Amino acid sequence: MIEPKRVLRALAEHWALLEPLCERFDQGTLSLAELRVQLAAQQRDSTPQDITALLDVWIRLDILVPVAKSPNRFELNAQIHDFLAYLRREHRLGLCLEIEAYLRHLERLAGHIQDAFDIRDGNDLARQLRLLDMRVRDVLKKLANDEQALVAVAERAKTSDRQIPLRQRYAEVLATWDEYVEPMIQLVNADGAFEQGVRKVENVLLRLLGEQQRLGQLIDDDMLLRTHARILEMQTSAQLTLRHARELLLPLREEARRHNAVTRGAALALAAMRRKGLDAVPQAALPLFTRPQSNFLGTASQVEAYVYALARFESRPARFPRSEKGKDRPDTPRAPRTVREMLDRCEQALPLPDLMQWLLNQEPEGETDELLYWFSRLSRDKRFARQRLERRDYLTHEHSVSLRSFALYSPADVPAGAITVSLADES
Amino acid sequence: MNLDLSELTQLAPIFRELFKGFHVSRRDPELYAQLSNFQDAYRALFRALGFELVCDTRGFYYFVPEQAAAQVNKTAQRLSLFTFILVEHLADQGRDPIAVLDGGSLGRDELPGLLEKYRDLFGQAEVQTPEELEEKIMRRMTQLGFAHEENGVYRFLSPMHRFLDVCLSVQQDRDLAASLHSALPLPTPVLVDDTLEGGFDDAEQEALAAAIADEQEELQA
Repeated sequence: MIEPKRVLRALAEHWALLEPLCERFDQGTLSLAELRVQLAAQQRDSTPQDITALLDVWIRLDILVPVAKSPNRFELNAQIHDFLAYLRREHRLGLCLEIEAYLRHLERLAGHIQDAFDIRDGNDLARQLRLLDMRVRDVLKKLANDEQALVAVAERAKTSDRQIPLRQRYAEVLATWDEYVEPMIQLVNADGAFEQGVRKVENVLLRLLGEQQRLGQLIDDDMLLRTHARILEMQTSAQLTLRHARELLLPLREEARRHNAVTRGAALALAAMRRKGLDAVPQAALPLFTRPQSNFLGTASQVEAYVYALARFESRPARFPRSEKGKDRPDTPRAPRTVREMLDRCEQALPLPDLMQWLLNQEPEGETDELLYWFSRLSRDKRFARQRLERRDYLTHEHSVSLRSFALYSPADVPAGAITVSLADES
Repeated sequence: MNLDLSELTQLAPIFRELFKGFHVSRRDPELYAQLSNFQDAYRALFRALGFELVCDTRGFYYFVPEQAAAQVNKTAQRLSLFTFILVEHLADQGRDPIAVLDGGSLGRDELPGLLEKYRDLFGQAEVQTPEELEEKIMRRMTQLGFAHEENGVYRFLSPMHRFLDVCLSVQQDRDLAASLHSALPLPTPVLVDDTLEGGFDDAEQEALAAAIADEQEELQA
């Protein structure tokens, strides 16, 4: 049996050494060599013998215990670790299931209390009530601990390095939400196990009070009332813890979710743009804003120059075509004006190896749209058979046109592969 | 509503900036304080003049152009593209995009690498060189109040939330997501065939056929 005073004295005396070690032990176990290095770093003037003596004291007082199956590795005694964590206000988040288990136990105790009252066993009744009271205190302690642990979770998420990946930063928040807050919401719901358990215990206690008044006192009413008050305190405390947890973690959880949504949205938009171009993102989604500098006037000298140019503006004289223009260039063949004329010329020139080229030769100065009209018109006429040529570029007077031209033949000497066009086929 | 113009001491600079498309945020403390202190008065005044002042609770003010007059311009597309790229780039690097785009910063020296990595997409927005990236995107961002440049570092301001909202709305756009994840071919735009067979629509076909028939009759006559 280790004397408690000695343990407490050792803890007080070596607090400066134990406190930093606690953090190490929070991460896992330590080997004897690691322990020695840690202690030597904190006590620079101590000899190896001093350290050995110190470790020896801790092991003898059960402050340090060997890890099962690894005698050279040590950890803090779980009870001491919890006590030190409480002193250091380090709280580890418990499980929602623990609270649920406590509640089931409370319900069972309520049953035992009822039984003890039914058989009028005052001693057992008092014992069961004390047990119930202690269990409720356990739940309260746990809720308080969990609340502190939740605060720590939120603080870690908020203060951790902003450069580390968000998923990593909020991993603890998301896990805490899923594993603690969500089940707690279920538990503390109006029809959840917590409320049901509390109501059951409360009913038993209230009935007991009524029965005591009717049948005579078996135990002090105060004891029943105190327990009842504590049950109600536990209920309020659970609701407050849950509300606090939601207030702390919900914004962080939303932030993490928002982050995921933004990243996913950006990736989606980029994927769509890669496939379909910049217009892939719905225009309605894009922000609208006025063009920058739409009301930009410029410097005084620019304005002056502009006004000067306006004041001396002279319109260019309009030039109209002269009627005798054709006479100036008698060599140029007159542009054919009628379809009949054009068809005749084309028919005479058959076979045409390339209709578009022929048109260009005929009308080197012709307008592009006019040439294309003739190309379209002649290639469709039913008096010609045609054969599709490969795509190539044609230079008109003012454009470069890329199209697949035709070779035209008279229907009488159609080569293999050429087709005769008829209007019926086209429509 | 009675307006006391003597209270609106920053009316001229505020109007000038907003009219240019600038977003007023806490970066311009005087204008921002005026707008937030006399928000209702400014809104009423601008509305009477035909301008819609948007007061975003995330800490910025801007004019929204009339829907009828507004058309999405190249700048909006470019800036949105840049935001998407930056979000993806930062996420790829394991950095927090929202932390950077909401008050965080980006070194100018990171831009060439970004351009190289997303050259194909920037190319679609006619941004080919680091100079063009600076000119067509970063300078526009600073002109519109989305970012602020100092000593080679761009600090993004709260109006960037407008672009983050685009990311969110894209994420919620089920049609877009479905079109990307579907195995079916994407709907392709209908282009006019430039070859002759079937190259005209029905109305043109009929008109041409009628014209040719008329000519035939004329020839035979």
